[in-house]
Amino acid sequence: MDPVLTKHIGEPNAQTLDFSLQHGAYAGLRKALGMAPDEIIDWVKKSGLRGRGGAGFPTGMKWGFVPKDSPKAKYLCVNADESEPGTFKDHVLMERNPHLFFEGCVIACRAIRAKVCYIYIRGEFYHLQRVLETELARAYEAGFVGANILGSGEHVDIYIHRGAGAYEAGEETALIESLEGKRAQPRLKPPFPAVVGLYGCPTVVNNVETLCNVPLIFDRGWEWYAGIGPDKNTGPKLYCVSGHVNRPGVYEADMSVTLRQLIYDYAGGIPGGRQLKAVIPGGSSTNVLPADKIDVAASFDGLVQAGSMLGSAGIIVMDETTSMVWVAKNLLHFYEHESCGKCTPCREGTDWLYKILSKVERGEGELRDLGLLFSVADNIGGKTLCPFGDAVVPPVASTLQHFREDYETHVRVGRPPLPPWRAQEELIGAH
Amino acid sequence: METVALTIDGKSVTVEKGKTVLQAAIESGIKVPYYCYHPGLGIDGSCRVCLVKIEKMPKLQVSCSVVAAEGMVVQTETPEVVQARAGVFEFLLINHPLDCPVCDKGGECPLQDFSYAFGPKGSRMEFARRVFDGEGVRADVDFGPTLMLNRNRCILCTRCVRFMRDVDGDAQIGIADRGYGSEIATFKEEGVHSLLSGNLMDVCPVGAITTREYRFKSRPWDNPTAVDTICTLCEKGCNTTVWLKAKPEWAKGAQLARITPRYNPEVNGYWMCDIGRFRLAWIESEARLSQPLVREGNDAQTATTWDHALDTLKRLVGAHGSEHLRFLLSAHASHEEMFALSRLARQLLGDRAQQSCTVSWAASVKSQPEHTTFSVPPIDAPNVAGARLLGLTSVPVGEAEPDLSALRAAVEAGEVRVLYVLDPGPSGSLGDTAWIVDARQSGRIASLVLQGVLESPLAAAADVVLPGACFVEKEACYTNGQGRLQATARAIPPPGQALDDCSIIVRVAAALGRPLDYRSAADIRADIAATRSDEPGLQGIADMAFAQPVATHHWLEASNPMERWKWDVMFQDLPPVKFEEMLKK
Ligand SMILES: Cc1cc2nc3c(=O)[nH]c(=O)nc-3n(C[C@H](O)[C@H](O)[C@H](O)COP(=O)(O)O)c2cc1C
Ligand code: SF4
Ligand code: SF4
Ligand code: FES
Repeated sequence: MDPVLTKHIGEPNAQTLDFSLQHGAYAGLRKALGMAPDEIIDWVKKSGLRGRGGAGFPTGMKWGFVPKDSPKAKYLCVNADESEPGTFKDHVLMERNPHLFFEGCVIACRAIRAKVCYIYIRGEFYHLQRVLETELARAYEAGFVGANILGSGEHVDIYIHRGAGAYEAGEETALIESLEGKRAQPRLKPPFPAVVGLYGCPTVVNNVETLCNVPLIFDRGWEWYAGIGPDKNTGPKLYCVSGHVNRPGVYEADMSVTLRQLIYDYAGGIPGGRQLKAVIPGGSSTNVLPADKIDVAASFDGLVQAGSMLGSAGIIVMDETTSMVWVAKNLLHFYEHESCGKCTPCREGTDWLYKILSKVERGEGELRDLGLLFSVADNIGGKTLCPFGDAVVPPVASTLQHFREDYETHVRVGRPPLPPWRAQEELIGAH
Repeated sequence: METVALTIDGKSVTVEKGKTVLQAAIESGIKVPYYCYHPGLGIDGSCRVCLVKIEKMPKLQVSCSVVAAEGMVVQTETPEVVQARAGVFEFLLINHPLDCPVCDKGGECPLQDFSYAFGPKGSRMEFARRVFDGEGVRADVDFGPTLMLNRNRCILCTRCVRFMRDVDGDAQIGIADRGYGSEIATFKEEGVHSLLSGNLMDVCPVGAITTREYRFKSRPWDNPTAVDTICTLCEKGCNTTVWLKAKPEWAKGAQLARITPRYNPEVNGYWMCDIGRFRLAWIESEARLSQPLVREGNDAQTATTWDHALDTLKRLVGAHGSEHLRFLLSAHASHEEMFALSRLARQLLGDRAQQSCTVSWAASVKSQPEHTTFSVPPIDAPNVAGARLLGLTSVPVGEAEPDLSALRAAVEAGEVRVLYVLDPGPSGSLGDTAWIVDARQSGRIASLVLQGVLESPLAAAADVVLPGACFVEKEACYTNGQGRLQATARAIPPPGQALDDCSIIVRVAAALGRPLDYRSAADIRADIAATRSDEPGLQGIADMAFAQPVATHHWLEASNPMERWKWDVMFQDLPPVKFEEMLKK
């Protein structure tokens, strides 16, 4: 598949309005402005677009939940908090293709009858804020955003809000709380944001990449969009490949692409000719897959079938030198640090898991600690206020499930099992 | 009322539409633990202990956050629920200091009680516990002028945060830091400064917030008796419970251990203010008047018998003629006391009786946040509305200050020879009295009689002192600022030879040769009912019920059933009680 979202990102000044206009920017918006909101939603439904923020929820359906006849204001909140370890795709889109992004925001606002869109970017994205603000000013000037957009009478204002740097602020209701000036802690659902969201008004929260897909549906037609990739997993997708690969980066493909292709073809394989050990396919919150499970489509449904999730499409590649105990500990360090602390199991459990994992990794653990890890993770998963708690389970449970030997070796000798060639080296050294 | 019927643990339960599954469980006596939910503070969904299984829902649900629906089938005791709930309890305790033996909450602590009922047998935690301000007692830090905070004990239910935000109206408490490091904090560690601070001890489900006043004073099992009554320190009339400490011979100190609010949706909700809660030391203090005193000539006062004191009173009144007698009543006087005294005045002074009685009280503007949902009125007395109903004051509704101008003018003019003061309230409840002391000392008033409860400059200046009873020592009726008739209960006896104020008035009347035909306060109430049957604020006074002291064990059954949420776990030993109204919020 030819890249669509990222086709020009490597070219100089790709982010500017002039450059974008030369390459067809805002053509989708022109068409959408001629359509009624319900028709826009209908097109998005027919395109099969699923949210790129993690859960893969059908975007058209989400927009359809916004009550049409509510007298309240409606809001679009863009989730640009991108903090999931291993994920860096939204970043690229915002930095190199901001006008596609704004175009998607305006179309989405029209669809849900919102006049205001807030872009919530993560605290560390200071440099992006500057790019976005510069380009947003140009879009306003050119009449693509603001009052009477392209003479249609449509009015959409876009504001950029930079958070304070908390992973949990990416959870949609926590994001709304944070926008309202409160602690980034999630709200109870229901009510869902589509009914009671920002300032108590109907609100849609969408991911950056999701919105960047929207203009394509209108520019080229939903039929074209729905024809890309496998059934129910349509449209171009960005993959963030990182870890032990020769060419880490963001790659665009349709969702028939396999993990193997992404690792070995797109990202150039593993350095030093070493063997693959494990892959986290969708950001740190998804189950790790062992090396023999990579011949699966990197799609929403393909990865569920393989026992994991597409999540945020952050593919973390680990070679045979990696200790999976260390991986789990490292990730739990992240979750322990980022737990918002609102609910009991996550606040107390993440820290406990981190402590047990650290102990096991240091070689001070016992075999019964492995059972304890499972049990504590299980006491968190499904019991928490927001999905953060569920995200804590995979790093522990799936590494234990597939790499128990790593754990047992740590318990026995205080380090991970060595790859065959390291074991060889040690043998030679010993002589 | 629209209702829905659901099944919880095989039992069919009918509740008002809109109530949650947790509320339905509590109403029907089914045990489901909860911390962050509080009937007066609403739902938060954060503690996660109220997990239940609801048919057709794949995940376990927090029952506090699910609205009960027709036909819903709920399970609270399946292995999955029991296991998951125990897991949450294990989490709640892995960092808890477990210093229950030195914690004020121990014995009435929902964390303790629910953990025993629903928690795992033991803990699998082997790492050092989280410590905030220090270990042991060093963890107790100042939390404003009235409270102490122990962050190690806190389970972060945010009840305190929500109380300050939603009830007090000034969000002084927040959570600092996040995740595992989250801690309850006030800005710049200033602590809580609020007239409602004591409620924070009540809402805190653990011993994290305690009051300085009750700190280390008693343990729940040392308070074997509870008495439901009302507070009389302002005209709001909060419904309360007083807790009595067992007081063996050798024990020093007060019997009155504490006062806590009692739910009344019409008056005080779940709350009371700090004045009513903490101002109780005077009741059993050394400063109480406990025997009659008389002064002969310019000598010092001497203790005497009731008979002698009443003789002296008779002699003083006789010497000056009853037409020069005036009465000054504190609005801490009950209906019975006001009515009986005004009857006596009528007998002595006939038509001039009305003018001979003046009612006084103290007023103070309370500084509270603008958006508080619990405001404490300015009138610091329980029965100003009652005085108005009985025609003893003409100060209009809405006016906070009493009107003493007529009495003062009469005293200045030397028309008052004997002034009889009745004040069963705490010090200051008559407002300024220095002018009376001055008038007595300069001889503008020839004789001063004080029927009261506390030593004061006024008592010291009196020629006759008759020791009375304060509000926890007698059964008496008051009409609060809303016009609601309420009653106190007799929790403890008055000190020494002090007597119930009604019986003092009856004795005084007899001594003055104008006996009142009352054998008890009930007779007075019947008389009030007979003569003032048209007053809504006095309606039902003849049949007023007075709460009796009950063993704390049975208090929950005996008291307002809407209180049951408070001792969440005591209810395990009790039959189911309906408390619909409590859950209305
Ligand atoms: C802990 C947590 C962190 C999240 N972080 C992000 C994030 O950084 N960016 C994002 O788009 N979605 C994130 N999500 C998912 C959002 O809650 C939400 O599902 C998403 O923004 C919806 O957008 P979409 O429908 O366009 O996919 C996070 C969810 C959780 C539970
Ligand atoms: S699971 Fe609970 S503590 Fe963790 S981030 Fe969500 S609400 Fe906060
Ligand atoms: S101090 Fe008490 S009321 Fe406040 S959050 Fe902690 S446990 Fe809850
Ligand atoms: S009472 Fe239900 S989550 Fe706390």
